[in-house]
Amino acid sequence: MNSNELTETQPTNVVNGNGVHPLIRLAGVTKVFLTDEVETHALSGIHLDIREGEYISIAGPSGCGKTTLLSILGLLDTPSEGSYALKGHEVANLSFADRARVRNREIGFIFQSFNLIGDLSVFENVELPLTYRGMSAGDRKALVTEALERVGMAHRGKHLPSQLSGGQQQRVAVARALAGRPAILLADEPTGNLDSRNGEAVMQLLRELHQGGATICMVTHDERFAQHADRTVHLFDGQIVEDRMAA
Amino acid sequence: MQTLWQDLRYGVRMLLKQPGFTLIAVGTLAISIGANTAIFSAINALLLRPLPVENLDRVVSSYALREGFDPFGSSFLEYAAYRDRSHCFVSSGVATQHSFNLTGQREPERARGANVMADYLITLGVRPLLGRAFSADDDRPGGPPVALIGYGFWKKHFAGNIGVIGQSLNLDGRTYNVLGVMPQGFDLPGAAEIWIPLQTNIENLPLTERAATSHEIVARLKAGVSVKQADVELKAIARQLEQEYPNFRRGWSVKVISLRQDLLGDLEGRVRKALFALVGGVGFLLLICCANIANLQLARGIVRQRELALRGALGAGRCRLVRQLLTESMLLALVGGAGGLLLANWLVPALAMLNPIRGLSLGEFLHNFELDQRVLAFAVVTTLLTGVLFGLLPALKATGAHELMSRIKETDHRSGGAGSARRWFHGLIIAEIAIALTLLVCGGLMVQSFQRLQRVDLGFNPENLLTLKMALPASKYSQYRQRIAFTDQLPERMRNVPGVLSAGITTNIPLEREIAYDAIFNVEGRPPPNPNEVPITSHRIVTPDYLETLGVTLIKGRLISKNDRAEMLPVVVVSQEFARQAWPGEDAIGKRVRRIRAGQTFPWMTVVGVVKDVKEDRFNYRINRPVWYVPYAQVENDFPVNLIIRTAIDPNSLTAAVREAIHSVDADQPISNVMTMNTNLSTVLVTERFGAVLMGTLAISGLLLASIGLFGVMAYSVSQRTGEIGLRVALGAQAKHVLGLILGQGVKLILWGVGIGLAVAWGATQLLVSLLFETKAADPMTFASIALLLISVSLLACFFPVRRALSVDPMIALRSE
Ligand SMILES: Nc1ncnc2c1ncn2[C@@H]1O[C@H](COP(=O)(O)OP(=O)(O)OP(=O)(O)O)[C@@H](O)[C@H]1O
Ligand SMILES: [Mg+2]
Repeated sequence: MNSNELTETQPTNVVNGNGVHPLIRLAGVTKVFLTDEVETHALSGIHLDIREGEYISIAGPSGCGKTTLLSILGLLDTPSEGSYALKGHEVANLSFADRARVRNREIGFIFQSFNLIGDLSVFENVELPLTYRGMSAGDRKALVTEALERVGMAHRGKHLPSQLSGGQQQRVAVARALAGRPAILLADEPTGNLDSRNGEAVMQLLRELHQGGATICMVTHDERFAQHADRTVHLFDGQIVEDRMAA
Repeated sequence: MQTLWQDLRYGVRMLLKQPGFTLIAVGTLAISIGANTAIFSAINALLLRPLPVENLDRVVSSYALREGFDPFGSSFLEYAAYRDRSHCFVSSGVATQHSFNLTGQREPERARGANVMADYLITLGVRPLLGRAFSADDDRPGGPPVALIGYGFWKKHFAGNIGVIGQSLNLDGRTYNVLGVMPQGFDLPGAAEIWIPLQTNIENLPLTERAATSHEIVARLKAGVSVKQADVELKAIARQLEQEYPNFRRGWSVKVISLRQDLLGDLEGRVRKALFALVGGVGFLLLICCANIANLQLARGIVRQRELALRGALGAGRCRLVRQLLTESMLLALVGGAGGLLLANWLVPALAMLNPIRGLSLGEFLHNFELDQRVLAFAVVTTLLTGVLFGLLPALKATGAHELMSRIKETDHRSGGAGSARRWFHGLIIAEIAIALTLLVCGGLMVQSFQRLQRVDLGFNPENLLTLKMALPASKYSQYRQRIAFTDQLPERMRNVPGVLSAGITTNIPLEREIAYDAIFNVEGRPPPNPNEVPITSHRIVTPDYLETLGVTLIKGRLISKNDRAEMLPVVVVSQEFARQAWPGEDAIGKRVRRIRAGQTFPWMTVVGVVKDVKEDRFNYRINRPVWYVPYAQVENDFPVNLIIRTAIDPNSLTAAVREAIHSVDADQPISNVMTMNTNLSTVLVTERFGAVLMGTLAISGLLLASIGLFGVMAYSVSQRTGEIGLRVALGAQAKHVLGLILGQGVKLILWGVGIGLAVAWGATQLLVSLLFETKAADPMTFASIALLLISVSLLACFFPVRRALSVDPMIALRSE
């Protein structure tokens, strides 16, 4: 078996109501942190399906497990229990290298702090995940330019992050997340470090991306921004207490 | 004062807060300062410290030279010519080494001494501690039998009694009155303990005696005259002598060197060069150390930027901040310096055991490396300098921030350390690697050269050989047949000593630290050689069994036998090199050679054997010189004789039995220089051993320090880049990408360092050329293997930082606030 492929574990019954796999299916996911003999149940019994093209916001009080959930979705962490299928393929048994590959191809991250690399130019920052795919320079250039144009930063490609404002930096971070055309964009409080005007602009950008067909899963504290999404999941103490579709 | 105290207290607290940093820094400093101090103690003892000779550096001595041969002693002929014709000297004098048989006390004893001209001691500017020196009257021919004695001799034989003046001494069967006691440690020429006046009118001597090259000249330069100028002038006078006395002087030149260089036994200037090479080496080590600590400080400076910014905000000027940081550096340097002194205190005796000098004289001073005031002062200055060197740059960097805001932003950007500081890190680490490579190449070459010298084929087997020296007193052995009888009898007697396998007698032990005899020779059937190319051979007069006992390899013919007596055909055994020079491409056996000397005729000698080359000469250890061995019974001589004994057991255990056996032949015969051949050999390569061991040690230390430095920079860089690495992993970087990122950075530094280092090393090794034996300074194998070694060790230094980078958790990208 080629280890590059996702492992197909539930070939038949993962079919959703409208006849396709959900993009993501979490079933009974639990995450327990063990520190100094104290067990923290960050997540308990999470069932969550995310369909392609959905825009989900995850909300809840501090410490309820939002970041933990996102990190599991993003393959940065593994659940203690339960299963996680991405595009119908179980990810539990992937090797370290395969997880990195899946992260690189299927997932786009937007972090709270923009997490740009100070030594690299705007262009190079956006290009970074593509270089890990071993993509040719020409292809990379096309994708990067397209992504930068999407966020309106194409003219700043040669600048260093320190020469940009916070809002511009976050737009570059969004460009980086979507440049590789991932299956899903994960964002953990993408506006947390921005003032409200810049925050609004980034939200606007995400909404446009969603309208263009992107799947987005965003963590936010802010009720106003949560309303941008068409589905809101409320976490409390590691459990989903509310899963509401927008009207 | 108040603020200094505050700075100090705060500095101590900062250093204690980071024990890891402090430990590494203090350890590195202690090693470098300790090494510098130890080497300086050697320089101090050998080159700087005053000796019991007045204004030593204005005194020179001269050697007679023949192209391609050992340095010779000087002749009276030269002395008189230099004295009368030269304008370089205030005064000059001559001395002849002379070992006395001291009798009339306990066991007969051999004592080193000299016949000296009154002017000799005056030129050296030494005055007796007790009594008086020789007057012109003492020194005239037929003058009184008077002697000066050395301080140690006085303590040993007269129990340091002040009443020694006027007491008598029995030397070589004659009675001398003690005139005075020389100051402690003075023993020129040649470790003398007894001085008697020369009492010779040179002009009245026969020319053959005047031309004999067995004396030592010293002279004191006039103010403003350099050694070089004196050398040029005496060379000109030597050329005049060639014209005036062609039979004796043709082909002879002269070399003037400073007395100090002479005392180091350093005619070729190798000791001085080796010392300078080592000074360069330790200096380099210190630079590596400074770069290391500067780097650590830079890193700390970046970490402490918030603290410094806060202090700045509270009104501290840049000066004030620099002073604070410098105080810390100085504190560190002082602690390291103290550690260095402790280390040096322990290193210096070890260094003294490796003493690089071959000379015999003034050993009490030259062999005594110690931490005297001058060395201490050196250590303190080095320490302070080091503190400034490694402290200033980081202090200026850390406090030089004008735009605090950009810095705060920078830390948010996951950059690998503040940009310009990183350039410094990298520059410093590249310099460290380059320096370490240079040290390693130099050390590697010197160690190799030393190993090759040690592996040189001696031409004999040095294991289990005991040697000793005897001068046959003229009172008992005035007749040549008496000497033959003694040398016939002694080896026979030795064979009866249990543990002795065989024994023989020679006039010079191979490679011994004594005057070795040479002879000019003539090959039968060859035109009398061009007077400027007089063939010279090592001249060894030996008993039968000597060559077997020594363990030479017979190539052709036979060795000297019991039947080679006075009345028989004169024979000679020659070395391969001799045969090659005398009869190139021909068979030497049956050919005839003869010794030549003005005013004397020697018989033709027939070659009966050829032996593999034997290293006979200390000075010419690096080459093979012609040697001949002639039978003691056939060549009349009154040289001192050396007994060599091949033993079946540890030769040291036989000394008592051997002494007893000698005294059973002649109860009054003095014996000296009792030692094993290996002991003798261990004194041959002292300079080379000193250089090799020290340079090797320095090189390894340099490698270690540079690796620690690289490790520090890499570890620091990884810790600074943790966030960046986590982010990259979150974005899908594989292990190979992270490895490439971090290792790539390390490899880049290493390759730059190695590249620059190779260039620097190439230049530095050119300075070593004259110290190397059968080793090319630009030896590509050495360069390549050293570069490889350095690269591997540096990669190893990157191992832990890289491993740490590989284990960075990508979650860090989400978790940073
Ligand atoms: N590596 C860890 N080790 C131990 N406990 C952890 C770890 N990561 C998270 N936790 C705990 O898990 C719980 C959920 O944390 P999480 O970061 O997911 O909260 P969050 O909802 O993102 O909070 P916030 O809104 O403040 O970001 C918390 O109680 C936290 O202390
Ligand atoms: Mg969170």
